Amino acid sequence: MKREITFKLNNEERKVEVDPAWTLLYVLREVLELTGTKEGCGYGECGACTVIIDGLSVNSCLYPILEVEDRTVTTIEGLRAGSGELHPLQQAFVNEGAVQCGFCTAGMIMSAKALIDENEKPTEDDIRDNIAGNLCRCTGYVQIIDAIKTVAGGGRT
Amino acid sequence: MSDLTTVGKKITKRDAPLKVTGGATYIQDLKIPGMLYGGILYSKHAHAKILKLDTTRAERLPGVMAVITAAGVPNNFRFGIMKDNPPLKGGRVRSTRDEIAAVAAVSAEIAAAALELIEVEYEELPGIFDPLEAMKEGAPLVHEEMKSNILKMPWKLVCGDVEAAKNGSAYVVSDTFRTQWVTHCCLGTSGCIAVFDTGNNLTMYSNTQIPSLAQNDYFEALSAFGLKGRRVRIVQCVIGGGFGSKLDTYAYEYIAILLAMKTSRPVKFIFSREEEFFATSPRQCSITKISQGCDKEGRLTFREMEMVLDNGAYTSWGATTPSVMMMPISSLYKVPNIKYVAQCVYTNNTYSQAMRGYGNPQATFAIESSLDQLAEKAGLDPYELRFRNANEPGELTPQNFQVTSCGMKECMAEVVKRLDWKGKKGNGNGRGVGMASLIHVGGGARVYKSDGCGTIIKMDDRGKVDVMTGATEMGQGSETVIAQIVAEVLGVNIDDINVINNDTDVCPWDVGAHASRSTFVAGNSAMGAAKKIREQMLAVAAQNMDEDPAALDIKNGVVFSMQDKEKSMALSKVLRKVHYTPGGKMFMAEHFYDPPNENFNKEFKGNLSVSYAYGVHGVEVEVDRETGQIKILNYIAAHDVGKAINPMLLEGQIYGGGLMGIGYALGETMIYEKGRLKNGNFLDYKMPTAKDVPPVQAVIVETDEQAGPFGAKGIGEPGLVPTAPAIANAIYDAVGVRIRDLPITPEKVLRALQEKAQADTGRSGA
Amino acid sequence: MTRFEYHKPHTIKEAIGLMGSLEDAKFISGGTDVMVLIRQKKIAPAHLISLRNINDFSSIDIGDGLQIGGGVTHSDIVANEFIQKRYSALTDAAGKVGSRQIRNVATVSGNICNAAPSADTACPLLVFDADVKIAGPKGERRVPIDDFFLGASRVDLVPGELVTGFHLPPFGQNTGSAYIKHTRRQAMDLPMVGIAVRVTIRIGGSEIGCKDAFCAIDSISNILRRLEDEELRCEDVRIAMGVVAPRPVRARKAEAALRGKVISEALFEEVAEIAAAEAQPRNSIRGEAWYRREMVKVLTKRAILISVDRVLRPDDMIHPDRLW
Repeated sequence: MKREITFKLNNEERKVEVDPAWTLLYVLREVLELTGTKEGCGYGECGACTVIIDGLSVNSCLYPILEVEDRTVTTIEGLRAGSGELHPLQQAFVNEGAVQCGFCTAGMIMSAKALIDENEKPTEDDIRDNIAGNLCRCTGYVQIIDAIKTVAGGGRT
Repeated sequence: MSDLTTVGKKITKRDAPLKVTGGATYIQDLKIPGMLYGGILYSKHAHAKILKLDTTRAERLPGVMAVITAAGVPNNFRFGIMKDNPPLKGGRVRSTRDEIAAVAAVSAEIAAAALELIEVEYEELPGIFDPLEAMKEGAPLVHEEMKSNILKMPWKLVCGDVEAAKNGSAYVVSDTFRTQWVTHCCLGTSGCIAVFDTGNNLTMYSNTQIPSLAQNDYFEALSAFGLKGRRVRIVQCVIGGGFGSKLDTYAYEYIAILLAMKTSRPVKFIFSREEEFFATSPRQCSITKISQGCDKEGRLTFREMEMVLDNGAYTSWGATTPSVMMMPISSLYKVPNIKYVAQCVYTNNTYSQAMRGYGNPQATFAIESSLDQLAEKAGLDPYELRFRNANEPGELTPQNFQVTSCGMKECMAEVVKRLDWKGKKGNGNGRGVGMASLIHVGGGARVYKSDGCGTIIKMDDRGKVDVMTGATEMGQGSETVIAQIVAEVLGVNIDDINVINNDTDVCPWDVGAHASRSTFVAGNSAMGAAKKIREQMLAVAAQNMDEDPAALDIKNGVVFSMQDKEKSMALSKVLRKVHYTPGGKMFMAEHFYDPPNENFNKEFKGNLSVSYAYGVHGVEVEVDRETGQIKILNYIAAHDVGKAINPMLLEGQIYGGGLMGIGYALGETMIYEKGRLKNGNFLDYKMPTAKDVPPVQAVIVETDEQAGPFGAKGIGEPGLVPTAPAIANAIYDAVGVRIRDLPITPEKVLRALQEKAQADTGRSGA
Repeated sequence: MTRFEYHKPHTIKEAIGLMGSLEDAKFISGGTDVMVLIRQKKIAPAHLISLRNINDFSSIDIGDGLQIGGGVTHSDIVANEFIQKRYSALTDAAGKVGSRQIRNVATVSGNICNAAPSADTACPLLVFDADVKIAGPKGERRVPIDDFFLGASRVDLVPGELVTGFHLPPFGQNTGSAYIKHTRRQAMDLPMVGIAVRVTIRIGGSEIGCKDAFCAIDSISNILRRLEDEELRCEDVRIAMGVVAPRPVRARKAEAALRGKVISEALFEEVAEIAAAEAQPRNSIRGEAWYRREMVKVLTKRAILISVDRVLRPDDMIHPDRLW
């Protein structure tokens, strides 16, 4: 039976009517038409669907929508400043060649953001640990890790 | 032209800002009003007769708009290079990825539910899963109408006299090597939307890498479906990875077309991850027998290779990989006598098509592993042996490849230096070093009737440039490289360049994003068109500035006299002057560049490419002798690229290719049991994660290829060609065991170590 | 088509009540197992009862040993310094489960209840003699973790019951532990074999001598010889193995062989052989039986050494992934 839930999405209060069996990923892409978050596998094995909920990175493809109620969700669309300026992580990905086909990019950036918000100065090991759940086939990860490094240690984002 | 302003610089990728903000539209994201969702029912068995196929219950499910089976495919239409692949199979199924029915429904959920309502009764038949078995007389036939399971595709290359050379060699080695099925693992799965307009003209929204060839395939299909002569338009969405997976057309595309015809509505297919694993075509697996020999001085005398390739149940590009395998076989190092024979054999397994390297990694694994064996027999350092036989600029190889630029020796030197080869070789203690080289096409590859790419350029009054190119952008950066080349030639800011590359209604013909050809061919094509415009612009500017065109240059959108920089005119002013005048004109130009390479003749000889890319990889490994696990301590990937048009993008290709190659060497394998894929998911298919990246150095060697745009040649594929043998050779140096079949798993290493220990004990009589 | 109702009780009593009153219901915590099973169509419950909003469910309490609440996630474990120092094997295990995204929502109790033989935190809980705290319609009870695992994916929970947490007894300074997860790639992987060890040691000779043994990057042989010289004795030990039986199991015979003895190279070999013999690994697409058995031997030795090292040099440890 459909229900209405309220939650904070990209700094805005949202009221959405949802079916309890829907996942957060489904609601983002099909109901709210925020297609920046991608489905890469549907089983929590690739990270393309990563969003941030209450400060923690999660696979939205496995997140039941009713669990989102009253929580704070951030997706890739919520990173840009109101002025349109790119978030430092987004700019770093552009600058360092960390984007090739781009399908993994949204999830990768969200994992990186969750890490840097939690730990201002992550080591390279920390970075790898925190993006290990985001698969990328194009880049070989080197330039992605470099991009995150340029932002890590650079102050609060 | 003076110093370069854009080419050779680290320019950010043109499509990156859109991608990092989540604004790029992939096929997954595209919705067309009225769209239906498609679903495919696949065969339960690898080989069976379909006794009954009842779709009534599926048709009756509310929300289902159409259900089709083989009976609904007109004119016995088949696709694929051998035309042996019907989009829907009826009567008999030959693999577990055979499509036997398809539905179109108003939602993906309903489509999935409908598939479950289709009733199928099978009579299982014995399946054949080993190509060596399938070759034998009396083996059950996969296609009953053919006399044998061996394809009528006799691959054979003979240069010189291998028998004589073998007899005259001082040292000879022989061995057998095997490689496995691996798959592309594009993060964006396959998909399309087929839409017909009221005139029955087809538009396909697609993530194909071959827009022009796919267009052709669909023309043929439409003819067979009773819609001859209609237009076909392909619009490419942003592509979530290619690597060759979209180099051929698949059954689901024809199914989408049929369903769109039947329902008169757009029909969308998106593969689930599971489908992407089992229903797309993987890299061709191989069984290779190889012999190589050299004389007393270590000069290579001959190379003989024999391959058996599992063709699976239907034929796609996997059967043509021998055409590319011939390249390293005949032309990697100087080898005067060559013999190569390959047979493709039908089985009830999955069928292969193109994957980055297209046969080269498989052949190079055998060649470069064997070469180390030869070095050992001849008492030579593996690097010494390679150096003595290294390819050089200007060479003509036995297969008639005309080598122009060649940086093989420079790449070798980089590897030897950066790896500390002399210091680390033969140290034992579980650590060792190994190397392997590669040759790949770097200036296009004439595998089709045309190897060309067209470009159309137009400029507006403000100096903005639209570049319509046939080249496909699938993340590798062809769009950015083309923009750089045009910006450089026209003397404008790269931000003023707009590249349009995704619509066959607008973009000229291109054979496809393969063979690492985009930079070279599309680059030359764009360069040609840009030069024509530049000429036009300078002529008009010269008139206006009262100068000789040859005395002018353009930089940052300003035309200026090279003698007196103050004498200048803004490009936009030039453009408006020539436009807004009676009898005016606008600047437009086109150039179709089809490289002067050659198709193979009947003997499979000919200059396949205008230039060849070379590279050498070196790796230091540590072997855990108790667990068999391999740790890569250092990886050097040195590549001769002619010229790095964009060093940052180029490094991205080397890192990405390298890690894909490491996965190929150490962990990736598709596990099939009786024709069924058992590990079609990201947990059990071990694609490398961010924690699996070893310390890696990408070394760019520039040899200035004259025929390439600004001296550049291709890099898309070379990154993973020599990885497996380099690692296998390093393991041998470390612990004295050679693994001959990929992937090199801890089990294989440990088993080999145990057997070696037993053999050593036996030998010492202890 | 996938349809279920989703309930969010705030107390354990409410949760149990819902389970009792709803037909065809299943508890769900992080969802990383349940949502996958639903998507794979392996289960199709009509109701999901979420345990993510239960008050006071996610606490980690130290004092009387260690109490881990039913809602504690793997990330919570990793972030806890006390667990890392005193129950290191648990941190080892929790930190290697899935990905950060999975760890952020997946609970230890959920993972244990799913009872896969590969559950990483199972072996550490076994070597720490944990008790499983259960609540149900008939009240509360406790079950030793070894008795909780009944077989392949089966645990001692009757319908209506749920796990409210774990209680681990306290251990002193002389106890060290380790968990080694043997995988094909460095992340996002299930173990081919998992070994957890807990040892309590007593030194007969010089403590400095023992510490020195680990300071030099040396072969295992030499390390063991020095430990033997200093009469380093194993007072108590637990060894648990994962993926070598239908459920995570203790290597009791191996433990008996080691308990009370002075550590030596010969003893090590013996203990490892016994553990390997106690394992009943299978062939599967994830690994071959012979190899798994070999790894039990190799990793048991390594896990014991790491555990001893953690006692001797708690602030400066050799990393488990260093090759010996």
